[in-house]
Amino acid sequence: MTTLSPVAPAPRQTIVWQRAVLTGVGLALLVLLYTQLQRIAGFVTYDLVSLTRGSHLASAVEFFIFEVPKVLLLLTGVVFVVGVMRSFFTPERARQLLAGKREASGNVLAALFGIATPFCSCSAVPLFIGFVTAGVPLGVTFSFLISAPMVNEVALVLLFGLFGWKVAGLYLATGLGIAIIAGWIIGRLKLERHVEPWVWQIQSGSAAADVSKTWTDRLTDGRAAVREIVGKVWLYVVLGIAVGAGIHGYVPTNFMASFMGRDVWWAVPLAVLLGVPMYSNAAGIIPIVQALLGKGAALGTVLAFMMAVIALSLPEMIILRKVLRPVLIATFIGVVATGILVVGYLFNAVM
Amino acid sequence: MNKIEVLGPGCSRCKETFRVVRHVVEQAGLQVEVVKDESIERMMALGLMATPGVVIDGKVVVSGRIPKADEVRRLLGIA
Repeated sequence: MTTLSPVAPAPRQTIVWQRAVLTGVGLALLVLLYTQLQRIAGFVTYDLVSLTRGSHLASAVEFFIFEVPKVLLLLTGVVFVVGVMRSFFTPERARQLLAGKREASGNVLAALFGIATPFCSCSAVPLFIGFVTAGVPLGVTFSFLISAPMVNEVALVLLFGLFGWKVAGLYLATGLGIAIIAGWIIGRLKLERHVEPWVWQIQSGSAAADVSKTWTDRLTDGRAAVREIVGKVWLYVVLGIAVGAGIHGYVPTNFMASFMGRDVWWAVPLAVLLGVPMYSNAAGIIPIVQALLGKGAALGTVLAFMMAVIALSLPEMIILRKVLRPVLIATFIGVVATGILVVGYLFNAVM
Repeated sequence: MNKIEVLGPGCSRCKETFRVVRHVVEQAGLQVEVVKDESIERMMALGLMATPGVVIDGKVVVSGRIPKADEVRRLLGIA
């Protein structure tokens, strides 16, 4: 486009500075608020509402008042940062870097790009065709397609906020691991003939670049991501924490241990089997995760369930059926589900 | 300017993008064709891999996100 905004350069510059300063002040206030949350929650629970220290109700209320703003603040911060970061990564750039890459190193790179690149499952088909027709190996393409939904920033924040950095880190590492290894296996199986033949006929155009971005645009991207993602999931988060608060205060622990505990060998496969056809976003599933864990279900079983729900979904398979033959879809599901199964057993064994 | 295309496989984000673009064009009273194209071939011909995409006279100006009305106005040179 040759026509640009008619705004004169001088006032525009001032606006940029004002915005930068406002963003900085806003961030500082949020950090301050975050550090004081425990104190505020205590103050509201015991001084303002005057609940008795140590009672079930007080414990539930304090948990809720502390966790809701904490998780929402974290979520807003992380989604903003991820939104800005993603303005540097586009599928076009990922394709350029991955085209002609050898397997193994290509799988690792693709899985990392899968996290960093904005992706929605409705883009799966154009992305798949764009990748394979540009010479990205099939297995490498799958590493990208697996890690993009599996390693999800909302899930990461919620796991970090509710269960701590160890669980969040395990989720990140194993999610990446599954994407890398499953993609590599699919590549080794040489399934190219199970891609619908018309895909290979498509002439893929050269990289369509979104117009080059300024920092103002990137910050706008970050804010847009916050509006879109936080705007969509906040209610799930609040409801989930409310359920969690109830459990925290009232339900005896070890309630779930008898059928989802680590000693029940069939719990992991059952969790995966239940999770694969289910379709939900990470925000919708983590309240369930929290409820299950709170009642004594084993971590591996619960993580396996969560991964199966968010990484493999029926709608995405139906979309991918346009470009993949059933054998390849079945292999895709089989390999990823096996990876999730292994992760489930692994955690139940070591944690 | 002759033609604005909104590309996407028909998901809700693509429909929302089409709505935003059409609204801006109608509001400004522009005489320009706005079409919604759901074909993979068109996306691939333009090298578009993230939907929704907005294409003005054959040039991709937005990809993989829903643009805001202000941005569309700016892209159309009517801000």
